[in-house]
Amino acid sequence: MPKTKPSIPLGLVFSRSGPYAMMGREMEKSALMAVDEVNQSAAFDFTFTPHLRDPGGVVPAYHTACEDLIRNAGADHIVGCYTSASRKQVIPIVERTERLLWHPARYEGFESSDNVIYVGAAPNHTVVPLVRHMLEHIARDVFCAGSNYVWTWETNRVLRELVASAGGRLLAERLLELGDTSVDHIVSEIIDRHPPAVFNTLVGESSYSFMRALHAASTRAGISIPMLSCSLCEPELKMIGPAASVGCITSSAYFESIEEDENRAFVARWRARHGDDSHVSVDSQSTYVCIMLLARAIRRAGSADVAAVRRAAANDCYDSPQGPVWVDPDNNHCFLTPRLARSIDGCQFDIFWEAEAPERPDPYLSHLDFASVGARPDKQGDATAWRPTHLRVVK
Amino acid sequence: MTRPSPFSVRGRHALMIMRDEREMSILRRQLGRLGMSVTETDPEALIVPDTGIDVIILDADSIPIKPDSTPPLKTIVPVIALIGTETPSRLKWLLDLQPASFLIKPLRSAGLYTAVVVAFDGAQRRSEGAAYVEKLEDRIRARRVVFGAMLQLMRNHSLCEDDAFTLIRQTAMRHRTTVEQLSADIIALGGMPNRSSRTA
Repeated sequence: MPKTKPSIPLGLVFSRSGPYAMMGREMEKSALMAVDEVNQSAAFDFTFTPHLRDPGGVVPAYHTACEDLIRNAGADHIVGCYTSASRKQVIPIVERTERLLWHPARYEGFESSDNVIYVGAAPNHTVVPLVRHMLEHIARDVFCAGSNYVWTWETNRVLRELVASAGGRLLAERLLELGDTSVDHIVSEIIDRHPPAVFNTLVGESSYSFMRALHAASTRAGISIPMLSCSLCEPELKMIGPAASVGCITSSAYFESIEEDENRAFVARWRARHGDDSHVSVDSQSTYVCIMLLARAIRRAGSADVAAVRRAAANDCYDSPQGPVWVDPDNNHCFLTPRLARSIDGCQFDIFWEAEAPERPDPYLSHLDFASVGARPDKQGDATAWRPTHLRVVK
Repeated sequence: MTRPSPFSVRGRHALMIMRDEREMSILRRQLGRLGMSVTETDPEALIVPDTGIDVIILDADSIPIKPDSTPPLKTIVPVIALIGTETPSRLKWLLDLQPASFLIKPLRSAGLYTAVVVAFDGAQRRSEGAAYVEKLEDRIRARRVVFGAMLQLMRNHSLCEDDAFTLIRQTAMRHRTTVEQLSADIIALGGMPNRSSRTA
């Protein structure tokens, strides 16, 4: 009879209900897939026992859920949270009790807790490459539509500084409350003003309604306005619909279409488990990466002890579906490869460039030279000399 | 002149005047994440170099309160105070220090960036305010000179007070100089300088 492996309790905190239930369910599905793979793998001499909690998208419920996981389920490690508000509810309790939160979602930066491993993208991985692309190839002036919360406020702040450095301006900043789908006034204004680009930081249903309405109105008016996003993902393209979801220039560390063996195998396993018509999102993939990084760190440390796991996780390079990923011990964020893609038919993204190598996370954007991002050569200048050297065209 | 952004703190240098190793290690790590460099000194020494320090982080509890109520530190560098004891005696000591911002102990990773940004912005505003006050004080001091020049022109050209000042102001604009400087020239020369070309 095979020896039973010791079991390690693992907290999973995802909102399967509430305003962003779709993302929560996708992330939880990915977490459970990763747990099953670890548990069935001979490469790990332990198993995870997942303890699921659903805070329902209610911010204070995250604190309650994590307290329960730590006190009653004995979890030293918790994977989850989606919004910054939920993460900031959890940080005081993981800091006070010396536990680790493994956070899959990209966020706006300007945080670095010793008790969080930030596996999602930092702002230098998402907004900076997207704005650089916009300034170099599309426009210096941009119309902003966003959800009225911290992600939009900070993304627009970075956008405003980069655009201003390049001599451009934010033509308008129109904000909707989270979940609000009354987008008509914004769409009318965009059609009237016909800006050279629209920067979309709306989330969830607000974004889907906005993209559908803008597509319909643009088609009626016979115009085409480039749209940019740093949060759009494959399952959302499906929800938006076939025509309106096409053509959005999107920045992300992960797209389902990454042509690497690890990713092809990962997507195949995902579809085998969840159905051929299902799609992997950046946050689902990142949740999977969280659990694999944690499992590898426990294996290296020889225990689930938080301090030992944190040390073991540092600089451990994992060939994940999105490519090599490792934790930077300087700030507990991850080295990731930024990518830009255009949404196409079939709920997919066509990746048109990516960083040559994983980029060091810069959560405080302290290494960003705002002036250099917006710099353009004169008309006679050599365009190849001005193109950022760390970016390579892949298509 | 554009103001330096208080949000970009990379390359700035902090002096930590504190003793608690746990809190020092949190600050070292967090300042490193912000791209700042650090020098450390023991609170007993309390020596602040004249140059090269952009912000001082001072553990208020590590310095005894002296009965003579002399300010614990005289410096123009912005100070971030770390506060544990909130007794009025300590807070009085703290007010005399005029900290640019503060953090409550025990320290966490969150909060330092805010404290540093507030300190740099406050220091910048204070320095701009001081420069503005100095400029106003110079102008107040020069009022006697301007008044003397006005009297000179009123006598020489039989002008009323308003017309004498208008003449000085318009001439100063034409000569691209200040009212105060032109007034000093008028007094020195005993009348309006005869300059047909612009002065630098």
